[in-house]
Amino acid sequence: MNIVILNGNPDPKQKDLDRYIKSLGADLTSRGHTFQSFQLRDLDIRQCIGCWSCWIKTPGLCAQRDDMPQIYKAVMAADLVIFSSPVIMGFMSALLKRANERFIPLIHPYIALVEGECHHRGRYDRYPAIGILLHRGSDTDDEDIAIITDIYRRVAVNFRTTLRCAFTTDRPTSEVSHAIADL
Amino acid sequence: MRLLICNGSPRGKGSNTALLLKHFTDGFSACGGNSVEVAYLMRTKEHAAIAEKARGAQAVIIAFPLYADSMPGIVKEFIEALGGSQPKSRSKKQKEFPPLGFIVQSGFPEAVHSRSVERYLEKLAKRLNARYIGTVIKGGVEGIQSRPAYLNRRLFMAFRSLGRHFGVTKEFHPITMKKLAGMEKFSAISRFFFRLLAPTGLFDGGWDKILKQNGAYGRRFDRPYQP
Repeated sequence: MNIVILNGNPDPKQKDLDRYIKSLGADLTSRGHTFQSFQLRDLDIRQCIGCWSCWIKTPGLCAQRDDMPQIYKAVMAADLVIFSSPVIMGFMSALLKRANERFIPLIHPYIALVEGECHHRGRYDRYPAIGILLHRGSDTDDEDIAIITDIYRRVAVNFRTTLRCAFTTDRPTSEVSHAIADL
Repeated sequence: MRLLICNGSPRGKGSNTALLLKHFTDGFSACGGNSVEVAYLMRTKEHAAIAEKARGAQAVIIAFPLYADSMPGIVKEFIEALGGSQPKSRSKKQKEFPPLGFIVQSGFPEAVHSRSVERYLEKLAKRLNARYIGTVIKGGVEGIQSRPAYLNRRLFMAFRSLGRHFGVTKEFHPITMKKLAGMEKFSAISRFFFRLLAPTGLFDGGWDKILKQNGAYGRRFDRPYQP
């Protein structure tokens, strides 16, 4: 399996999540998977400004000139994309969220009915499955994790795929990589 | 009442959010003794100053367009500024925050798309030690600036009435909220007609018109990142 992790840890001084992802990557690689992680804080990722160039002017291409294209390429070639972040104020980091909403060039403006709701049509024939990996903050409770999971279930539907796994870093990497291998 | 409104749209002053807020503040300001300031969260460098202003206001409303099923990144960034950003630096006892309400607008016609982030926002108010005023949800907002004025009359009236009521009570009127939220999900009949008419391209017409104007219609299915 080809696995891509977007690491949305904004703080280089908080090393827990970075270490965890490194160790998870080693586990997955040793199981024969391809693994690539993006340290989002080291990349130039700008806010989506809602200009919709990617839908109405240059279909499929974002108007911003930054580091997103390398993520687009990796994401569309992946089998599983894991959104990973420390939980800050009960949600994914702003950094991760900013990268996340830049995914709209990958879908189409046309609307279709999915699960009885309006969602955007796919632009590509196939999309990677989605997972989330969360690192609890000192004020994070189970309700926060449930809320994030619920929102990312919707993110997956809008990305014309499904949320296949939701982990927290409380679980050892060996267990998580085992669960990912079983997907 | 001194109200601070935080406009969380990345489109800023020209946004649909700004347009809806204009009608809200018109209603709000019609009541004597009320003053309102609008801050633009797209100016991320001002977040610390806006957070300070928020703490000094008598009520705060954060309004934003739904972006990938939750708040835009700039709004999350502001929320982090409100909370002192990092989870481990939250040891200081927090002062009480003014009553906090939210307005979430989206392009999708159904309210259901915004219900998950609503749950987050209610929890956020609790986390900030603020009284939760509520979350106004309005779908079907995209395109309101390019359609005839008569189609927006009722929408704008509802936002003015929402603002007027808020100006007196510091509450969102539950009936106006319900009216604005509209349908939660399509009914079976609407789904039937959608499926029946979708192949005709009827619902894609708006997009096709703009795509053609931009000379991009022939490229509309482009897949630049196809592996």
